[in-house]
Amino acid sequence: MADPKDETSPRRGLLRRVWDAFWSPTGVLSTGFLLIAGFLAGILFWGGFHWSLELTNTEEFCTSCHTMETNLGEYRETVHYNNHSGVRAICSDCHVPHEWQHKMKAKIMAVKDVYHELRGTISTPEKYEERRLEMASAVWKKMKATDSRECRNCHAFEYMDFTIQETRAADNHQKAIDQGMTCIDCHQGIAHDLPPDYLEEYRHVVETLAQGERDQSVDVAQIKTYLGISAD
Amino acid sequence: MISLLDLVGTIGASVLGLPGILGLALGMTTRNWILAAVMGGIVGLIAPILLGGSHSMNVTVPVAEYVIGMLVGICAGFAGSAVRHKGAKV
Repeated sequence: MADPKDETSPRRGLLRRVWDAFWSPTGVLSTGFLLIAGFLAGILFWGGFHWSLELTNTEEFCTSCHTMETNLGEYRETVHYNNHSGVRAICSDCHVPHEWQHKMKAKIMAVKDVYHELRGTISTPEKYEERRLEMASAVWKKMKATDSRECRNCHAFEYMDFTIQETRAADNHQKAIDQGMTCIDCHQGIAHDLPPDYLEEYRHVVETLAQGERDQSVDVAQIKTYLGISAD
Repeated sequence: MISLLDLVGTIGASVLGLPGILGLALGMTTRNWILAAVMGGIVGLIAPILLGGSHSMNVTVPVAEYVIGMLVGICAGFAGSAVRHKGAKV
C-alpha cells in the first residue's frame, strides 16, 4: 500500500483525501474552539432546519400546488377560515401534529402529496371527486386513531362552557364525554365538503380501527402467555 | 399492520427524533458496542412516551412505534460507537 506521506507515491483520489482529513486529529485547533464552533454550527443548523420546517406549515406553501385549490375554496367557506372571534385555523393546524415525533412523521408522509401532484392524480374536478371519499377516509382514520389530536390543540371538553353553547351542541358534547367519543365522530365535514355515502365509509373506518385494536390486544396477550407473564 | 408509508414515516421520525439523535450521541460516549446499542435502545423505547404525548388526548402508543424507535435507537447507538472507534483515540 502506498504511504500517504511519501510524495513519490501516486496521488490519492479527492474523496479519499477528504475522508482521511475528516478523521484526522486537528493539530491547530483547541478542544474549546472545536466545542464552541460545533455548538454554534449546531444552533445554526437546527435553527435553519426548524425555520424551513415551519415554512412548510404556512397556508401559502400548502396551497401552492394546483391540486389544493379545491380544498382551499371549500375551507374558505367554513368557520375555521372566517368567524366572529377572528381566530383562524390554517391547513397545518388541523393536518400537522404539534408533537415533534408525530410532526416529523406527518412531514415525511406528506411526500406522497408531491408524488400525486406530479402524477396528476386529482388534477381535474372529476378526478378530485372520484378520490374525495378515499382522501377523506384517510384523514378520518388518522383523526379517529389519534383521538382527534389536532382538533384538541385548540378545542378541549374541559374548556367548554356548555351553558353558553346551543342546547343541541351542549347535549351532544355531554353525550360525547359520557360515551368516550372524539371530535371527528361528529365533525367529519368541518372544513371540507363531504362526499356521498360518507357516513357508511366513516363507520367502516371506525370498525377497521376497532378490529385492529382487538387484533393487537390478542397479540400482546399471546406474547405475555409465551413469556409466562400474567395476561392481566 | 402498518402501511409502507406509515412505516417510512415512523422510521424517518425516529431518525430525526430522540432515538436517532440522542442514540447517536450516547453511542459516541462509548467504545463498547453492546453498551451503545443498549443505550440507544432505551432511548428508542422511552422516546414515543416523552415526545409522543399530548395534553388532552388518551391514545395508547402503538407497539410498532416502540419497536421501530428501539431499532432506530440501536442502529444509532452502533453508528455513534463506530464514530467513537474511528474518530477518537480514547
